Amino acid sequence: MRDYEVVYIFKSSLTTEEIEGRLEAYHGKILAAQGSEITAVEHWGKRQLAYPIDRNDNGYYVVTQFTASPGVLPDFERVLKLDDDLLRHLVVLSEGELPMPAMDERDRGDDRDRGDRPRGRDEVGKDAAAEAGDESSAAEDDASGDAADVDSGDDEAGDAAAEAGDESGADDSEDGESGADDKGEAEDIDADDGDDVDAKRED
Amino acid sequence: MAFRKVCKFCERNVERLDYKDADTLGRLITDRGKILPRRATGTCARHQRQLGTAIKRARYLALIPYIQGYHS
Repeated sequence: MRDYEVVYIFKSSLTTEEIEGRLEAYHGKILAAQGSEITAVEHWGKRQLAYPIDRNDNGYYVVTQFTASPGVLPDFERVLKLDDDLLRHLVVLSEGELPMPAMDERDRGDDRDRGDRPRGRDEVGKDAAAEAGDESSAAEDDASGDAADVDSGDDEAGDAAAEAGDESGADDSEDGESGADDKGEAEDIDADDGDDVDAKRED
Repeated sequence: MAFRKVCKFCERNVERLDYKDADTLGRLITDRGKILPRRATGTCARHQRQLGTAIKRARYLALIPYIQGYHS
């Protein structure tokens, strides 16, 4: 017996009933073997695909966790492959309980910002207050120490307005529009960490 | 390059990188969708390996693009 996790992407044109019906059929294949068990089913709902699949721009995501012996998988996957309304499926060994649904775009953005941005922001602020000169030298130390680096650091230290900008930037990149923002974010992280180290050095 | 002491996933005690977390993964790829190297992100070897797997799975599931901007 092993724990598996399967992600389905259905065509978003299917109705909820059609999707439920298919899930039931798939899961029936798993449950046909003795000792199998469906442990969790989570509907992410309709979501925009990062790239079109068979000319579909949206997909309906469902994540299921189940316990079964490896022997049932070939039978199970055969059914999945035959279904034309299933755009994609991925079966992997499960890595623990379902994480927070990576679904709701707004929720997700909030979670992330509360989770890991504030820490960096505080420390940057503290640092800037302590020694402005030190920060700029840290940016120069950076191999990729270009002007953008220094800018992003300063912005963040400056005010919360910069944070709002960051957020919208993240959204943009999600829409697949602007890569520049993506890059900016990544450099933000770097800049933060440079400051991190500085803070420790000062201690 | 500023020296980074700890990998950011180690810092947060991330046991497994989740391929479904498109948000985190999205920040570890370039603006064209390539996987950022360790030297750019400071990720430790262990987590970078997991990251590679996670990003590739996420790409397959269209959570993040193979090539950013290719289809638009």
